[in-house]
Amino acid sequence: MSYLSRIAPTDRRRRAQVDALLEQEGIQRDGNLDYTCGLFDEDGALLATGSCFGPTLRCLAVDHAHQGEGLLNQVLTHLTEYQAERGCFQLFLYTKCQSAKFFGDLGFYEIARVDGKLVFMENRRDGFARYCQKLSQHRRGDAAAIVMNANPFTRGHLYLVEQAAKEWETVHLFVLSEDASLVPYPVRWKLVTEGVAHLPNVVCHPSGPYIISAATFPSYFLKDADTVILTHAALDIAVFGKIAAALGIVCRYVGEEPGSHVTALYNQTMAQRLPEMGIDCRIIPRLTEGDTVVSASTVRKAIHDGDLEAVRPWVPETTWRYLTSPAAASVLQAIQRSGSVVHY
Amino acid sequence: MEILQAAMAGTLESSDAQVTVEPGDGSVELTLSSSVMNQYGRQIKATVLETLERLNVSSAKVTVVDKGALDCTLKARVECAVFRSCGASAENIPWGGAIR
Repeated sequence: MSYLSRIAPTDRRRRAQVDALLEQEGIQRDGNLDYTCGLFDEDGALLATGSCFGPTLRCLAVDHAHQGEGLLNQVLTHLTEYQAERGCFQLFLYTKCQSAKFFGDLGFYEIARVDGKLVFMENRRDGFARYCQKLSQHRRGDAAAIVMNANPFTRGHLYLVEQAAKEWETVHLFVLSEDASLVPYPVRWKLVTEGVAHLPNVVCHPSGPYIISAATFPSYFLKDADTVILTHAALDIAVFGKIAAALGIVCRYVGEEPGSHVTALYNQTMAQRLPEMGIDCRIIPRLTEGDTVVSASTVRKAIHDGDLEAVRPWVPETTWRYLTSPAAASVLQAIQRSGSVVHY
Repeated sequence: MEILQAAMAGTLESSDAQVTVEPGDGSVELTLSSSVMNQYGRQIKATVLETLERLNVSSAKVTVVDKGALDCTLKARVECAVFRSCGASAENIPWGGAIR
């Protein structure tokens, strides 16, 4: 008789069993997992495993000697129940292309794929279709797109938006709605929308779960290996291609990235893959002030070092007003206390 | 009954079904996937909708992933998910009333 059990992060012996099984089945182990379970036989051998991170299920594997016994169903039942317990009902998963059909039988539907690498799925039949349909209400001819975290919104961001707004009739501006940054999402959203209010052809959208989120691109927020980042980036762009089609986006503007390793890899993947989907990718050199690059990292670093006044020339009036208001006190404190203010 | 929060019942194992109910927007919206869709799809749909009607659920998003469950299993899973969603699964279950 087999039994299912949670595997604690401190349980080294069982962790090693999970690693061995994943390697045997040719699955890459993600660096960031917040829950792992295993299905063991009576001798304690690991037959199947699965993990969660945020709203996603990942690192799912069944020992090939035991495939076809319905073990994946048990693992998936356990993980969906665990997710339901913590109030998470909209689930996503990644799997190898050849395994996608098994998850199709378990109530998951394909969103996008990176050929030969992985398939990205969700447990809503029309989840992504609805998201695209909602966006397509804002479709107006050929448009450009920008995706930004704006942590916080600087004159560098504004410069990028203004460049795009000058050249295109419509600019769709996506603000990352994943709340994993030092500046909370509601504040970032407010500063972006206020900061671009003078540009009538810019439409702001919350990025939702399908653009650079914990679901599509977890390694954007938490450190991981380069190969993992590149795969996540390729997937994120595959999903973006479909969103672009719904909104008539034919060009994406990107800020050049001298400082952050993960964004540099992302830009590199974009420059390669977007043109394949018929989307122009324009990498705009960063705005500089004197010899300082104006970026959110620079701003956070100055705040971290206690030099708020230095920030003033780097941010628009709206952001400056917020940073000097009493409402910003807790955010400033969080940045000052944080050990890593620069995006890795 | 009013669906107050999302809730789930059942498993993905053979001969069972996993039922998820979520608050709806005025109507019953059913998403069904089944390993025996071609043979019993219509029957499964009818059973689920009938059970929801008996429980007076008129607004809900219902997702059923069926693995060949019998009608009685389907009914039990739908009932359980609905009662869990309105926090009534611990007590006051109307045995012999709405549930028969």
